[in-house]
Amino acid sequence: MKSILEIKSLFKSFGGLDALRDINFKINVGDIIGLIGPNGAGKTTLFNCVAGIEKPTQGEIIFTTNGQTTSIAGKKPETVTALGIARTFQNIRLFDNLTVSDNVKIGRHCRTKSNFLRAVLRSKFQREEEKAIAESANYYLDFVGLKGRGEEIASSMPYGHQRRLEIARALATEPHLLMLDEPAAGMNPMESRNLMDLIKRIRDKGTTILLIEHDMKVVMGVCERVVVINHGEWLAEGEPKMVQNDPKVIEAYLGTGAVDAAQAG
Amino acid sequence: MFKLQLKKFDKGSKLRIALLVFALIMTLLPFISDYILHFVILIYLYMILSLGLNIVPGFNGLLDLGYVGFYGIGAYTSGLLTYHFGLSYWIIIPLAFINGAIWGILLGAPTLRLTGDYFAIVTFGFSELVVLLLTNEIWLTRGPLGLPGIDLISIDLSLFGGPKWEFVGEIPYYYLSIIMVLATIFVMHRIQDSRLGRAWFAIRDDEVAAVSCGINLLSYKVIAFAISAAFGAVGGSFFARWVTFLSPDMFKFWESFLILCMIVLGGMGNIWGVMIGAFVLVSMSEILREILPVLGLPVEARFLAFGLIMVIMMRYKPAGLLPIQAVAAQMRSGKVKRKKIKVSVGMKE
Repeated sequence: MKSILEIKSLFKSFGGLDALRDINFKINVGDIIGLIGPNGAGKTTLFNCVAGIEKPTQGEIIFTTNGQTTSIAGKKPETVTALGIARTFQNIRLFDNLTVSDNVKIGRHCRTKSNFLRAVLRSKFQREEEKAIAESANYYLDFVGLKGRGEEIASSMPYGHQRRLEIARALATEPHLLMLDEPAAGMNPMESRNLMDLIKRIRDKGTTILLIEHDMKVVMGVCERVVVINHGEWLAEGEPKMVQNDPKVIEAYLGTGAVDAAQAG
Repeated sequence: MFKLQLKKFDKGSKLRIALLVFALIMTLLPFISDYILHFVILIYLYMILSLGLNIVPGFNGLLDLGYVGFYGIGAYTSGLLTYHFGLSYWIIIPLAFINGAIWGILLGAPTLRLTGDYFAIVTFGFSELVVLLLTNEIWLTRGPLGLPGIDLISIDLSLFGGPKWEFVGEIPYYYLSIIMVLATIFVMHRIQDSRLGRAWFAIRDDEVAAVSCGINLLSYKVIAFAISAAFGAVGGSFFARWVTFLSPDMFKFWESFLILCMIVLGGMGNIWGVMIGAFVLVSMSEILREILPVLGLPVEARFLAFGLIMVIMMRYKPAGLLPIQAVAAQMRSGKVKRKKIKVSVGMKE
């Protein structure tokens, strides 16, 4: 299998605190990978390092698309997005006061190029581009199941819809790798099932997915492989079922005594 | 321009009809008196200036206290080019626009990495710097003596064998200023629903999310700053050829503050609101200039009145007379401040 993202001995420290220590793993094209670990394990920090929002202290992040290999450690977030990595945020970050369709249109930013002059003159190029932007915004809204809600203000939508909108915005950047930070947080079972379905549909479109998730039902339901980190260190990796029964993982989540209890029970 | 707006019959359409009527009345004004005309041109000039400034705090959510610096640069560009080279105003407009934009980029590119209040302080310093420069570089600007006798605007068709028509009196300036305001509104409208405008609104709402959509914060802020500066400079270039006299103390800090008040009063980020803000404050300034001496108060006391208006506005209508959703929401939740802290610290788990 060809790998799309390869993280090689990644370190990140905030002053004296080591948020990430020697993280190594690989994601293959077309995978759905779960990144799990207890609170404070460094999952979001890892996301931020890949997305370019944090600069890793040390280590390599290799991103491969269309046969091109780029080292993206320390690259700017907008460059990373342009290369084809999109993300969502743990605490939803929408453009709250803009309309739903504007939110998705902004996602198209890195794939379009009209400038000030073209906007003022409303050249043929600009008009066609605007039309294409509007069309693809509709397409992605439709894809995540928000058809016909384009004119609503983003912050006025219910929570589950906001999550979907954030995914639509990320998809609008045409990513090869989509990183979802706790997409199912705060969702009811019905919404999580729809979300799992959506994640699979995104993968079927050819987008590789890396997701952080605490909801084990979602992780078991969609992930093909799971990477576990704890205290900023790589702990285990493998199929969800296998990882779930790994004593080290149970210990990380529930404490030392829990392993015996789990085996006994 | 107005017709386009009237097609959409939304909430603001009443206001737009009112503006249209207002505009019609305005066209009839020239036949009233020169004093009123002068005053109306002043309103139009401030409309251009506040529309230009609006890009930075209104569209991008950055506080800019140094706008008058660009206004001054534009005015002196126009004044000096006329004084030394006798250039026609029609050539000066684009030159002033470009010069304003250049200074916007020169100031913005290194300093727009700063967030919030720190950036505001830099712009404030810049406007003071411009005044000092205009005062002290006597070889260029004649310093505090000012630059008198700048030519009036003229339409010179003698090259093509036509007549030369000089703008004498207020009437031609009145029409020119209307055209310039309309052109400014036109540009602002087009930017507002373009890719550029959306990128700015994204930056205003959430910088981290904007960046992860592929928007380069610095360059979009610099573009905004440059365009805003360019409009300030165009306003200045008109001012120079209209009053035909320039002196450095016309571009003192309070002028920036006044324009900022206009957009806060009218509704930051809202083109129509900003224009209403300009109308209200310029009219008030003129009315108070008449009333205050009668009451035995110095003319400068009008700034107290502005201060009072701003305090009342902040208490009862913090997002302005015609608020837009984004600013209103930010004012309600104090989100502006919180957001900035988050961005500068970065996100943790």
